[in-house]
Amino acid sequence: MSMLANISLIAAESVPNDGVGSTSLHPILPPIGELIIGSIASFIVFGLILKLAGPTVKKSMSDRTARIQKDLDDSAAAASAAEVEASKIRAAKGDIDAERSRLYADADTQAEALLADGRVRIDAEMADLETRAAAELVSAAGRGGDELRAEIARYSAGAIDSVVNGTLDDAAQQDLIESFIARVGSSTGAAS
Amino acid sequence: MSDARIQGYARALFEIARAEGTLDEVEDELFRFARSYESSEELRNALTDDLVPPEKRQAIVEDLLGGKATSTTTQLVSMVVGSGRGRDLLAIVDQLVRRAAGSKDLDVAEVRTAIALSDDQQARLKAALENATGKSISLKTVVDASVVGGVVATIGDTVIDDTVRTRIDQLKSRL
Repeated sequence: MSMLANISLIAAESVPNDGVGSTSLHPILPPIGELIIGSIASFIVFGLILKLAGPTVKKSMSDRTARIQKDLDDSAAAASAAEVEASKIRAAKGDIDAERSRLYADADTQAEALLADGRVRIDAEMADLETRAAAELVSAAGRGGDELRAEIARYSAGAIDSVVNGTLDDAAQQDLIESFIARVGSSTGAAS
Repeated sequence: MSDARIQGYARALFEIARAEGTLDEVEDELFRFARSYESSEELRNALTDDLVPPEKRQAIVEDLLGGKATSTTTQLVSMVVGSGRGRDLLAIVDQLVRRAAGSKDLDVAEVRTAIALSDDQQARLKAALENATGKSISLKTVVDASVVGGVVATIGDTVIDDTVRTRIDQLKSRL
């Protein structure tokens, strides 16, 4: 009723025209009859729209909201997973640093051990070489002595033959024979 | 050659020499020839070479011994060499010498010296060896330059060695 009153207030005065309609006397507002019918029609159209399209729009909006929420949730989950992954990577990086440090430490330890072993082995080999060299020297000296003695013996043997053959004249031969006869003759019952 | 065959040849030579009544002479000549044969490689090669015909080997023996030994000795050596037993001549003769000495209850004493012994030295040496061994001795002397000086006497398994060669060898061994 109040709305109609308001409409009447804003409606302009109109004058009838040749029986088909009315003509507004106001330059902006339509005549009151058109205003009322137009308002009612508008209300009906708005009502129908609200009645028929409202649930669809409402569902669409609801779905959109759910989709947006889902996207937000997915993003949050992805962000969380990314954060976890980042944590893992950071942890892995820490592990890699620790592993690298451990490997460096192991390599240093092994290098030290290798160096120590090498020093010990080289020392042992040097000692062995020195011992063998000393033994070789002693052996060589012994061989030299033996060879010298053998050489002296060989020359001496040759000299003996030469001296004896030069000394054994006929008289010496006879002396040897007579000496043999005398020696054998002096022994009795057994031969030497 | 087997010992039995050597013994057989030695026995045959011994019986022939004894039958001829020249055992002592033949034994002595065979012994001396054996020593020459022992010391001469050329003679050994000539008398043991199978490529040399037996007649040729016998001719060599007759050339060597003809006029220097009895015909019995020459024929016996010729027989051994002609039958292809030249390699066993030394063993056969040594066996013959032992057999001949044994037939007279004597032991053979082989004496080697660098120079020849006089008859007097041989007699005194024989007596000395008999005195030393207590056996009757048949003395066989061999001139062997390899002894250098002194005397080595072998009676059976007994050796009395007083040669310069042995002393030199001992000295060399000590050196």
